[in-house]
Amino acid sequence: MWDSLPSFGTGVLYAILVAAAYTFAVAIGAGGGKPRLLESARRGAFATSALVALGVLVLAYAFVTHDFRIRYVTRYSDRTMPTSYLLAALWGGQDGSLLWWSFLLSLYTTACVAWLKGKYRELQPYVIATLMVIMSFFAVLMLFAANPFETNLSGAKIDGEGLNPLLQNYWMAIHPPSLYTGFVGCSVPFAFAIAALVTGRLDNEWIVAVRKWMLFAWLFLSIGNALGMRWAYEELGWGGYWAWDPVENAACLPWFSASAYVHSTMIQERRGMLKIWNVVLIAITFLLTIFGTFLTRAGLISSVHAFAQSDIGIFFLWFMGLVAGVTVGLIVWRLPQLRSRGQIEAVLSREAAFVVNNWLLVGSAAFILVATIFPRISEWLWNETVTVGPPFFNRWMAPLGLGLLALMGMGPLFGWRKTSGVSLKRAFAIPTATLVAVVLLHIVFGRRLGAPAFVPQDAFYPGIAGIVLQKFGSAAPAITIGLCAFNFAVVLQEFFRGTRARLQKHPDEGAFQALLRVVEKSRRRYGGYVVHIGVGLLFVGFCGRSWEIEHEATLGVGDSHVIGDYRLTYEGPRMEVDPAKRMIFADLNVERDGKFLGRLSPARFIYTKGGQPTTEVSMMRGLRDDLYLVVGTMDPQTKKATLRFHVNPLVSWVWYGMYVLVAGAMLSLWPDVKLREVSAWGYARFAAGTATSVLLSVLLATSSARAAPAVSGGSVAGAASLVTARPLDGTPALAAGLGLLLAALVLVGRKNDERSLG
Amino acid sequence: MTDPDDLLARASTWIAPVTVATAVAVGLTSGLGPAILVLAGGILLGAVLLFWSSLGRLTGESPLTLEEAVGLAAPSPEEERKRSILRALKDLEYERSVGKISEEDFAELTTRYRAEAKVLLQSLDAELEPARKAAEKKLEKRLRAEKVDRPKDRGTGRETAPAKTAGEAASTDSPATENTSEAAAPADSPAPATAPTAPACAACGTKNDSDARFCKKCGAALAAEGATP
Repeated sequence: MWDSLPSFGTGVLYAILVAAAYTFAVAIGAGGGKPRLLESARRGAFATSALVALGVLVLAYAFVTHDFRIRYVTRYSDRTMPTSYLLAALWGGQDGSLLWWSFLLSLYTTACVAWLKGKYRELQPYVIATLMVIMSFFAVLMLFAANPFETNLSGAKIDGEGLNPLLQNYWMAIHPPSLYTGFVGCSVPFAFAIAALVTGRLDNEWIVAVRKWMLFAWLFLSIGNALGMRWAYEELGWGGYWAWDPVENAACLPWFSASAYVHSTMIQERRGMLKIWNVVLIAITFLLTIFGTFLTRAGLISSVHAFAQSDIGIFFLWFMGLVAGVTVGLIVWRLPQLRSRGQIEAVLSREAAFVVNNWLLVGSAAFILVATIFPRISEWLWNETVTVGPPFFNRWMAPLGLGLLALMGMGPLFGWRKTSGVSLKRAFAIPTATLVAVVLLHIVFGRRLGAPAFVPQDAFYPGIAGIVLQKFGSAAPAITIGLCAFNFAVVLQEFFRGTRARLQKHPDEGAFQALLRVVEKSRRRYGGYVVHIGVGLLFVGFCGRSWEIEHEATLGVGDSHVIGDYRLTYEGPRMEVDPAKRMIFADLNVERDGKFLGRLSPARFIYTKGGQPTTEVSMMRGLRDDLYLVVGTMDPQTKKATLRFHVNPLVSWVWYGMYVLVAGAMLSLWPDVKLREVSAWGYARFAAGTATSVLLSVLLATSSARAAPAVSGGSVAGAASLVTARPLDGTPALAAGLGLLLAALVLVGRKNDERSLG
Repeated sequence: MTDPDDLLARASTWIAPVTVATAVAVGLTSGLGPAILVLAGGILLGAVLLFWSSLGRLTGESPLTLEEAVGLAAPSPEEERKRSILRALKDLEYERSVGKISEEDFAELTTRYRAEAKVLLQSLDAELEPARKAAEKKLEKRLRAEKVDRPKDRGTGRETAPAKTAGEAASTDSPATENTSEAAAPADSPAPATAPTAPACAACGTKNDSDARFCKKCGAALAAEGATP
């Protein structure tokens, strides 16, 4: 009955291309005020999106029914895989991930077109047209270079090759979708920018329209990158979470330009300045997302993500060329209208701080971009491949990152246009005092706590630049911790000042209620401040790298090894077997100060489907540090195990920082519940919003716990011993608390709105 | 021929729930594979209906809805500009309240923004004048037809304009929303901002803006010398 399923799938791809082309043509025709054509284009966009969903469902059906006639299904699944990984295989390989990208774009298109009903009628046709061009590009790519429905040349196989074991874990199941959600989300702001350029409506209209879309994409870029870090940390087993791998870099590039945009957009909103810059930033962000996909999928530079490569590169290059060409052409055409109305009046103003912050963010992105593709550049220029490694990035990104951290703290202290000396002094007093105090405390007590303020480093280069970088690198821990304290003080001060101002105006309110009201009234501002706290926590986590300890040792049964203040005793090897793999564990008991803390069991998994054995990390997390263990080799005769021990200080702070960042971004993004909406629909939205926030916090809260069973792949005993959380690890409580706080904020806001209504 | 819109409207209310319900039922009884097929079938049906209705619009066979007829109701560039000025004024208020800006700078900047806003509001009013007159005429005709006496104080409708402006601004996402009406209302007053001092209200003691003629809190008329040159 389903003999023609692969052909049907390919037919759906053709239908997507035709439908997108049709919708594009109708949308262009609707430009300049033809409501009937616009309605037709809107429906065309919905229909095209429905066809993409159909394509995804056909592929999902092929996976679930093990249709091994299809090459993609054969290469990325087998009969032993559980259903959840069968569905995760939808985006596990190149061809499927392109379909998945189209699917996410179709979801965005549907949401955007539905949201646009009755709004931005002049921009709308061109927004739809731009989205359809992007959709057509992916349809062409799938049809002519990477068709997920292509059949095996040698006919149907009996079983598939299975998904790469590295990809079979919880983090990998959720990392690509969320990163892609961020990547694809940048298409909507780009579509608005093009529409604004085409129609010449370049004032605040489109900027206001894309605000939340961009923030949403930025949020998912952050989450996607964080999940990728977590995956690298838990799964790759080299002891860290960020290795400046080309694909990691490609994933963080749009994050930098999007962060620059969410700041510079405020200057255009307030002052009508930086119009060209904003359009350029959006185009750059979009191009970088395409570049990121290109880098992951086209194999331009080899990386840990080398499991998905082919020769679709030329299609991407043409598309990027088209996007860049059209954007530049439109900007040049609209140049007279893009001139700024205002100008920066004082160096000590928020807009000046934002401009410098933009330079640094875009400068960081440009630096990472050039360093990432440097092997190709050097090959092209000098005919030899020069690769730049993680030490190079770490040296150079430290000053750039700390510059950003400093500006992030100072920005909120300036007012718009100009700030008088007196108010500046008042604003800087407490944060600066905090900075000085914390740095002094760090210098005095740091060494005793195993976290000295200065960590001597080797010179990386000869010459002055080398010496400056070396000195800076040595002082980086003290500078980082000081600047983080400065940032926290700034944010606390901002919350305090806002609350005090509100209390002066409404003396009848209590302090807590005033705080909630102030935050609720300008969530975008205070959400941004919460994000700043999250970024500060991230930096504290990054700083922990300076104090990490790494040992390697071969232990016989009963031997002990001391690292930091941990003593580990090797109890011996242990083997378990399940249908997919053999698992060899090395059991170690961990003690600190003579107190038993638990058992760690790093492992090697050998999959029956062949391939390299995988390294399974076992760790003990804590606020102060993570004890991270990897087993290299195990001798079956002597039972000796070669182990790598890491003590990674403050890594948990990176994950906590991410939770706070997500909470802040959600606070900014929270939809406005307007007074006139106090109706069934208003309550429905409110309920949906609260449910989402609670669900998200539960997901975040349980994420650490859920990682364990996924890693062990069905062995409950192994799972229990693989990841041991210490009582100190308060991730679930923190995440749940943040979720509840968010819900409380909205609830209070709503109650007050109702009171003011009636 | 059945009107595609009608069909779509009717279908859209039941296609999604019926498909999802059937898919869940099939999924529970026969497994995930058949459930995916049911979903795919529902989506294909939806796509076909959507194309049908899209083509119906294109060929002009379906009537225009009210929403389409409203057509291009996009705000003009002046409107956008006005909004950004009102937002800037709100920001200034906030920054003064948290002590980020000195009183002198605040006074200078608000005066400048207000002058800009005033010009814009006047030009917006002038633009809308013919439409407003036409609307007034229609309203009068209708009232006369329904034999309702028109209250005299409705005037030309100019008095209601500033309130509407403030309401619009209040709907934008920005801090200290309640300040908007206070910040925006005096901008419409014809008195030029020449007096730098801020007159306090005799009745309630609230500090008002230099060009205010009425107190922004209690509405009492302010002393003439504080506001007019």
